[in-house]
Order: sequence, then structure tokens, then C-alpha cells
Amino acid sequence: MPEPTTNGAPKIGVYVCHCGVNIAAKVNVSEVVEFAKTLPFVTVAREYKFMCSDPGQELIQQDLREGKINRVVVASCSPLMHEATFRRATAEGGQNPFFFHMANIREHVSWVTADGHKATEKAKALIAAAVRRVAFHEPLEKKRVPVHPHVLIVGGGIAGIEAALKIADAGKKVYLVEREPTIGGHMAQFDKCFPTLDCAACILTPKMTQVRSHPNIELLTYSEVESVEPYDLRNFKVRIRRKACYVNEDTCTGCGLCAEVCPVSVPSEFDEGLAMRKAIYRPFPQAVPNVFTISRRGTPPCQAACSIHQNAQGYITLIAHGKFKEALDVILRDNPLPSICGRICTHPCTVNCTRGTVDDPLNIPGLKRFVTDLFPDYKLPQPKVNRSEKIAIVGSGPAGLMCAYELRQRGYWPVIYEAQPVPGGMLSVGIPAFRLPRDVISKEINRLKEIGIEIKTNTPVGKAVTLEELRKQYAAVFIGIGAHVERRLNVPGEDLPNVWGGIEFLRKVNLEGPFKLGERVLVIGGGNSAVDAARTALRCGAKEVTIVYRRTRAEMPADPKEIEAAEEEGIKMLFLAAPKTILGNKDTGVTALECLKMKLGAPDASGRPAPEPIPGSEFVLSCDAIIATIGQVPDLKSLGDKLGLETTKWGTFKVDEVTLETNIPGVFAGGDCVTGPDVVVNAMYAGKKAAISIDRYINKLDMRAGREREGPYRTEYAIDTSGVAMQKQIPMPAIALERRRTFDEVHTGYTQEQAIAEAKRCLDCAICCDCRLCSTVCEAKAINYEMKDHIQEIVVGSIILATGFKPFDARRIPRYGYGKYPNVYTALEIERMTNSAGPTGGEIRLRDGRKPKAVGIIHCVGSRDRNYNSYCSRVCCLYSLKLAHLIKERTGAEVYNFYIDMRVPGKAYEEFYDRMLEEGIHFIRGRVAEVTDHAMTPDEEGKLVIRAEDTLIGVIRRIPVDMVVLAVGLEPQADADEVRRKFYISCGTGGFFLERHPKLAPVQTFADGIFIAGACQGPKDIQDTVAQAGAAAAEVLSLIDRGFVELEPNTAFIREELCSGCKTCIPLCPFSAISFNSDKGIAVINEALCKGCGTCVAACPSGAAQQHLFTDEQIYQEIEGVLSYV
Amino acid sequence: MSEQWEPRIVAFFCTWCTYTAADLAGISRMTYAPNGRIIRVMCSGRMDPQFVLKALADGADGVLIGGCHPGDCHYQAGNYKALRRYTLLKRVLTEMGIEPERVRLEWISASEGDRVQKVMNEMAEQIRKLGPLQLERPLPQPLPETERGAVPLPVAGRGLRG
Repeated sequence: MPEPTTNGAPKIGVYVCHCGVNIAAKVNVSEVVEFAKTLPFVTVAREYKFMCSDPGQELIQQDLREGKINRVVVASCSPLMHEATFRRATAEGGQNPFFFHMANIREHVSWVTADGHKATEKAKALIAAAVRRVAFHEPLEKKRVPVHPHVLIVGGGIAGIEAALKIADAGKKVYLVEREPTIGGHMAQFDKCFPTLDCAACILTPKMTQVRSHPNIELLTYSEVESVEPYDLRNFKVRIRRKACYVNEDTCTGCGLCAEVCPVSVPSEFDEGLAMRKAIYRPFPQAVPNVFTISRRGTPPCQAACSIHQNAQGYITLIAHGKFKEALDVILRDNPLPSICGRICTHPCTVNCTRGTVDDPLNIPGLKRFVTDLFPDYKLPQPKVNRSEKIAIVGSGPAGLMCAYELRQRGYWPVIYEAQPVPGGMLSVGIPAFRLPRDVISKEINRLKEIGIEIKTNTPVGKAVTLEELRKQYAAVFIGIGAHVERRLNVPGEDLPNVWGGIEFLRKVNLEGPFKLGERVLVIGGGNSAVDAARTALRCGAKEVTIVYRRTRAEMPADPKEIEAAEEEGIKMLFLAAPKTILGNKDTGVTALECLKMKLGAPDASGRPAPEPIPGSEFVLSCDAIIATIGQVPDLKSLGDKLGLETTKWGTFKVDEVTLETNIPGVFAGGDCVTGPDVVVNAMYAGKKAAISIDRYINKLDMRAGREREGPYRTEYAIDTSGVAMQKQIPMPAIALERRRTFDEVHTGYTQEQAIAEAKRCLDCAICCDCRLCSTVCEAKAINYEMKDHIQEIVVGSIILATGFKPFDARRIPRYGYGKYPNVYTALEIERMTNSAGPTGGEIRLRDGRKPKAVGIIHCVGSRDRNYNSYCSRVCCLYSLKLAHLIKERTGAEVYNFYIDMRVPGKAYEEFYDRMLEEGIHFIRGRVAEVTDHAMTPDEEGKLVIRAEDTLIGVIRRIPVDMVVLAVGLEPQADADEVRRKFYISCGTGGFFLERHPKLAPVQTFADGIFIAGACQGPKDIQDTVAQAGAAAAEVLSLIDRGFVELEPNTAFIREELCSGCKTCIPLCPFSAISFNSDKGIAVINEALCKGCGTCVAACPSGAAQQHLFTDEQIYQEIEGVLSYV
Repeated sequence: MSEQWEPRIVAFFCTWCTYTAADLAGISRMTYAPNGRIIRVMCSGRMDPQFVLKALADGADGVLIGGCHPGDCHYQAGNYKALRRYTLLKRVLTEMGIEPERVRLEWISASEGDRVQKVMNEMAEQIRKLGPLQLERPLPQPLPETERGAVPLPVAGRGLRG
């Protein structure tokens, strides 16, 4: 090759190609040649029939060799087609191959222009541009970049399997990534393959096991490609997300015991929903790898909403399966007071229950109560460790008890100080026994005592012992004294006899027993305590109890169920009324209440409308007693604190929100004394939170780290509730109304049958219910619930995408009745049914178990239809014939095929069609209008009627059948668009991946090193898929064996003398190829990283940045060329 | 200008999407208005606004820029850069008294041959409506003596002066 610099003054040869008639029929080639001769520097201009042929190339080479020319312009087809050919010819003629430019007068001129004259003019313009441009070309060298020998194959269907085996057999390392738990793809679902009718599994499974055992294949199932980034100029750095399957792939033996005990069943994806699988599953017995996977969506909404994250779905699922003991174990995992919570918890879980969007939420506390009632003598789990530290807990309410339990489980020795004679705090003194029987509380507390928690009753801190002493004697202190001091009404007459505070009244009844209040009792307030007080007053013998509330029922904070229960018992409600004066005197006690009518105004701070008094609306209610229940505040003074604990203006303790630590290190507080009056489960949450902090405090660990997920949060799952049958919540049995004048518990709890029926309403939001039964039976100890997704990073030089297809969703064509009529199936469903390992053991049956007597197969469902997909899915005719044969063979049914055209090209396909015709399968030519169950004759009664025009005889036919099979077409995977972006490739019409050339490069893409195979490129059968996989493998192997690729030398460079160091280009480069040389004060382009887009060149204000093959001068010349001469 | 005025349109197409789409239009024999002259660049991000000014200055009545759809750029984000410059350029053109509708940016993917046809036709129609761009014609540029000879003058000064 001569020295490029000696190229000398331009002598340009222009060669215009006829391309047979492709160009010459439209473009006047001779005229163009004559024109070319007039262009500057053009020394030779010729035409030839086929420039790409050897003689055509020889023309160029000869002119070059003879020195007639030193630069070449070929006007022919697209440079994407033949640029390489002519560059090679230029090089062989002795010049640098880049002294060449191509004018595209075929694709961009002759093929797209109607008028011959205009085509000729356009061709001239493009040639003029090329001539002017090529004069500015410079000699360039192609750079060689090594190709990394490792290969990534995405998709473990037959295409991926075939390509992986071919490449691995050639001794190259392959990573095969599959997002499902097993490889096999759609082919594994098929029963037989057309046209040979050989068993799909028999030919596929050996290949699958070969993949598993092949030393050169690293199989990454249940994994997805997260990102693909350039590793260097030619190779890829791929990040693969290995999704957590919660089963250790190396130790799982595939024995299947776990699935036997798993209580959760969901429709099997592999069996197209015709059978159920367990939450821990293996798609099918021959799955590769032969390991189980747990479907886990995460925390179900009920559990997330619960302050202490009680695993409701877990125990509910176990109850539904009659596994009550196991359910109890799940309950006790998170909650030491379940029989209390089962009765009086305000159940935020049910509020978020997904079933509530269908009909009613589940009665989750009722189910919990059922289990605890069933095992009245259950025990709490014993702590697994013991430590020496003792912790003081002030107050034995739910906060204190929960804190003590959690600390005891961590090995500490909690000592609870309780001022009252009975432990339990508000549970014992504030909640009436008809809702929470006393023996339930005492049993729960005894269970806590049994595991080593000490409770000192009648020991008020501040009197019997001081806080400072506790602080000194114990490793830490938790204060959970609740809120027991009544808020005052602040109206005249409040101190009259027989005016009670709600808690004061309840405490007296709870500790001393019922006493006579009077005939007519007014209860002021709208919270749970008010309702409790009213119902207790009734049980104390009052004849008439009225709740007076200043807002309306909708704003009452009390549990709606409790309000209902109160009303059932005969308690009256008086809304929009507020007390003004309590009337009476010291001797008679209270005699009446003067009230003021209220109206609702603008929302206040709580978001509820603020009640506003109506002036002059006073009225008087006569009564014998008043119970004022308008809220409570903590009694902080009773502690006689000398430590200096900080408090808030609301009279509560000031604590750190995350740790619940007070301003005094080692002293923690939680529950109502921090939040003000709140529900039991929130107090328990505070106790648990404090226990975690105390444990970390004692062990000198960071008290704040990783505590984001404590407390209630929201989760939602897109649950398909469309098929869920309506079934209301089962009401909890209760004692007769007339018996509700005693302190007997009102609700008696579910029976076993009721509990199971109620539990079965659960929708399994999170799929795996986290009951952990599987781990109890797994002998290999392979189950790991703590497993997390992780990222595996690999470097590869080539990638084959074999991501397959998804079947057309037949629901999109409602007139075919899929999803509406039970006996309308998709082909893939029948495919599973005909499989002897399938849901029916190979029997073709209707939903009710009958054998079909007549079956209609509708072709082209979702294919060849402008409303859905206009393309032909290619495989449906053949698989319909196959299914027709199998249905007839297994059931003897008459089978009708409704087709538009029979498309059966392919080896032995037509013969197969002939055979089916001979077998007596009916063929009706015409697109089906609808499938209906509307009978017009007695023959059609109870049948599905297929209405279609028989276009061969020109009549509308109604064919009654028992079963309809929809031959659904093939569509791109739902995420094809996302995937192709990840891999820098394009999608063609219909959304399938776009090949580089439809005929000559069917497995290549426009991205170097990325290939496609199988149905992701377009609908195709197994035969073609395997052939294409082989082709892709061959492409990859030839790349690897060659070891390098030559890169187009179109990289950017800096003309140092022009660079002003403005740094504009640096952030524009997506490949970080540009850096700043601070010594020279100029930008520097790393040629090894530059991919040649030219974005930096376009932005350079001084013209210092340039791009080889696309310099500013070259493009300016091209612009002038297309505009100047014609 | 000839008696029968025909719009002259320069089209800058990125090689990966729009140029390929134009090839596809050809392979599919989709005829369209012959007014567009396609210049291939590697990426729409290579589009220097000066190319557009230069083309208009040198006699083009309209300029079409074709790139990959957002998110599809072969070089990750070159098309976004093109969009950025295009938006700014339209304002500059308005300032100069040139109808901004003479310049159009289109996202056309490699499979959208029909879109090339549609856009080329629309563009020809649009420019026909606007009429010829009335700028003073620049003097024909002398070609360089050798291929390394004269570096052309900065463009903005050439056609748009005066």
C-alpha cells in the first residue's frame, strides 16, 4: 500500500451502477455519468451493470492501478450494503480504503422516486456531494479489538438451549440466563410436536439435562439481566439479578416434601392455570435445575399494616388447612398477647385487607382468637439465651408487657412495677370484662410469668420505690405508665356526686364489681372508652343509657362494630350536642344536663369537621348519673421523677422517635404516656421498639441503624380479584341480646367450621405466607428465608437473545367468549390437557369432567387481524391440525377447524394436512364471527355455538360444539421493548426484535456482537427456531475464533491548536472518553473509549473536536454538493 | 432559481435508525417526494446547528433531521442532545427571520420505512407552502486545491451575512 500522504492531488473516479434495472430503469445512468465528468477533480466516470460484481470491482482497481484515479466514488446501493465491498476494492487497487465514498442512488433514489427525471437529478446531487466529500477524505486505519470469548445467552427456551449447547460444545464458556425457575420455555409445555407427532418432552428434556451438566455452561435460572454496559470498545459488562428463590440450589435435592406441607396453593403457570401449584414449587418434575423455588411477594398488606407485624396471612392460611397448632406457633412468633389482641385489637390489618376490595375484609382478630381459644393452655416460647442483666419496667400495661416479653426473649430479666393491685394496666382496669374476660388477661400474664418475667403489683414507682433507685439498680428502665388521668369537661357542676370520669367508673367496676349508678345515665364522649362505659353502665342496672357526642356518628372515633353492638344493646345516641352545665346539688347529686346543640364547621387539626355551638339552642336532659369520657392524659407527676425527664406541652414524655430513649440515657418510655391515649397494638409496638433499643443500648450497639421498617407501613399488590366469588365475612357468634346485661363475654368465637370457612376467604396476597412449615420438613436444610436478590457481574464478548414469545391473550377478543364460557380454551391449555403429565393426566375433558363430543378449533385468533396483529403467526395452522388429531384420537369427537387460509408450507407439513383431511377432520373456511351459548334449536341447547360464514359455499353456519379451542397467535414478550433497549437493539413491526437484514443477516442485529434467535425475532416453529439458534451460535463461534473485530475508524479527535480548553465536550460524552489535560489546557479524547457518535464534535465551539470520516469539512462539502450543482 | 421551483431539502439522518429506515423505505419501494437529499451522520448528536445554517445559506429551503426514538439512541443520549440544540436553533432561526417550520426533527426507527415516506412527503408539502427561502445566494465556493488545502470558512459568516 502506498504511503497515504503521497496520495497527492485528488483524481476522482466515479462509478455509476445500473444494478440491473434496479437503478437504470429509473435513473438515466448515462446522463449521470456525463454530469459526473463535469465535476471538479473527476478524471474518470464510468457506468456498469453490476458494480459489486468482480468485473465491476476490477474496473475500479484497474483505474487505480493505472494511476488514473486516486479516490473513488461509487453510486449504487446503500453503504450499509456494499461499502465494505468497495473499500476492499479500493484497497486492492492500491489506495487506502477510506479514499472512497458511496452515493446511495438505489434505496434513496431509484426505488423511492416515481419520476425518472427527478430521480436522475437527485442521483446527480448525491454524486456531486460524494465527489466533493471524497476530496476531503484522509487515509485511516481500522482498529482491531479483541473479542472476549465468553458468551451470554438470554432465554432458556429451545433456542437458548440449542445455542448454548452448540457454543459450549465448541469449548467456549456460556452463561445461560433464564428468568423462570427452570429452562425449557414453551416447548416444555407442549405434548407433541408437529408434523411428526413425537413427544416434545422426550426430545427436549435430554437437552435440558445436558445444559445442566455441561462444564462450559453456567446456568443462571430465576435471574434477569439488569443492565448491559460497554466493557471496552467491543465487549460487554453485564449485571445479572439473581432473584432470591429462598432455596439453596446446591443443597436442594428436589425431594418435594416441602411442597407437600405447603399450605398455599396458586394456579400453576406451567399448567396454564388448569392445575394448582404450591407457593414452594418446581414448575414440572423434569425441571432443570431440579430445585424448588418459593413465590414470595414480600410482606402482605395485613402484616405490614400491623404495628407489630403479626403474620396474619401465615396463621390464616394454616387455619384454612386445619393446621391450628401450627397457626398458633406462627401467632406466637410475633405476639405474646394473642388472646387479648384477638378480642380487642382495633385490627389495622383488616383495614388494609385486599379482600376488602372484593366484599368484606377477613375477620383477622376473630381467627386469631379462634386459635388461642382452641389451645387455652398454650405456652409462650422459652428464651433461647439467658443473660445476667435485669431491666426495670414501670407499668404492666400492653407496652410494659410487650417490652418485658421481648427483653426476656433476648435473655434479660425484666421486673415490672405495677401501682394497681392487678397487672395489665388499662387492659384490666379500663376494658370491661364482657369484651375481655378477666381470666383471659390473667392467663396471658401468667404465661409471661412462666417464662421468667417478674411482676410486682401494688408497687407504685414514686412511692414504694423511686425512679432514681430503679435507674441505679437496673441495667435500663422502661416507663410505660399509660394515660389514666381523666380529662375534665370544664363545665359547672362537674364535681357533683354521681358525675364520673369514664376510666374512674370502669376502674371501679373492674376492681370492685358492678354497683348501682341510677336509672338514667348519660355518657359524654365518642371514643371506645365512652362506648365501653355506656355498655358497662347498662350492665350495672341502668334502664336508659344515652351517649352524648358533639359531632355525628361518622366522626365517632370508636370502633364502628362496638358502636353497633352498643346500639343493639339499646344504648341511645345523641349527636351534635355538647354539655354546658351539669344541674343538681350536693344532696340530690346530678339531676340533669344542660346541653347546647352543635353544627359541623370547617375541618380542624384532626381533619374532622369542628363542632360549633348554635347560640340559644340550650336544652336539658334529665338524668341520675353522668359519665364523662372525653379522653385521658398520663399522670407523670405520680412518678416523683428526680432524674429530670423531659416532657412535652401535652403532658407526655419527650422521647427519641426512633429509639424511644428519653433525655436520660438508659431510660426509655413508650405507649400512652408518650403518645397520649392510643390502641393496644400501638402500645405493644412501643414496648417492642423500646426492647430493641434497650438490647442495643446494653450491648453498646447503634440504636438507630436499620429501623426503617418498624411500625406500620403500606404494601399493595396487584391481585387479580376478577375471578373471586363473592362471600361476605362470617359473622362472629355472640350471646343472645337478652343475656347482655351481665359481664359475660359478648362474642363467643368462631367454631372450627366457621374459622376454616372464614380463613379460606384469604386471597394469599403475598403468595408464600411465611408459615415456614417447609423448613420443618426439609432434611437438606436448603430453605433460607433470609435470601436476598443479588447481582452477578460478568464480562462477555457476544450475546444471543432468545427470549421467545408470549401467546396472544384471548380475552382481548370478547366475542370468542374466552374467560366467559368455561369450555372455551386456548391452544396452550389444550396442549397441557393432552399431556399425560398435565392437569388431567392426558384426558381431554370439559370443565365438568365430561368428554367433549364436538370440538371447534378457531384459527388466527389475534393473528391476520388488523384489530390485533396483522401478521401471520405461522405455527397456528399446524398446531391446530396437531391438536385436532390428538382430540379426535383421545375422545373420538368431531373436530371442526375454522380457518381463513391453511398455511402449511414446510417439509412434511402439507402431507400432515392431507393426513388430517383423511382422518375426517372437518374444515370450514371462514373467520368465526362469534362463540355463543344462545341456542336457537333444540340441538344447540347446552352447547357452545360457533357462528361463521362458510365462504366456500357462501352460507352462514352455526356449529354447536362442546368445546372451543382458540388457536392464539404469537406476540412479542410483554417486556420486549424494555429488553431491546437494554441490549441496544431495535424492534420491527409487531414488536419483534429487528434483524440486521431480513434475508442476509437474520440473526445479526445492528448492535455488534448481539444476535437474536427464535421467536423473539418473529413467530416461528421449533424447526426454524433450532436452525436459527444454530446460525446464531455459528456467528458467535466465528467471532470468537477470529478473536478480534475491526472497528470503523470514525472516532473523534482534538485539533490541539484549536482547543481552547472550554470543557464543553467533556460532560456530553456518554462513554466518558474525554478528559481534560490540565498541563496543556486542552481536552483529550481516549480513542479506546470513543464510540464515534460525534456529539462532542457538534458541540465544540472552536471546531477543535473533529470526527474521522465525518469532519466538519466533509459534511460541509456534502451539503454544498447536494445543493450546488443541480 | 428555475422557473418551476421545487423545494430543496437537506436531510441529516442518523445511520442506526433513520438512515436504515430510509433504506427500508427503498427496499419496500415506497415512493415519496424526491426533494430530500439525505446526508448520513453516525448519530443525530453529530448534528451541528451550523450544518442547518450552512444548508439554508447554501440554497436549501428546508432541513430535516432524523434520529432514533428517545431512549433508543445507539450512543445512549445523542438524540437528546440533538433535541436540545434543535429547540434552541428554532429560536435562533425565528430571530433571523427564517420560518422555524423549515427545520424539522423527527424520531424514526429502523423499522419505520413508512414513516420516512410520510415525513419526506409532509416536509416537501410544508416547504412548498412556505415557498423558497429568500436569502441572498452565496457565491459558489472555490474548491480546494488539494484535499488538505483550504479549510472552508466558518459557515455562519458565509450565507447569512447581509
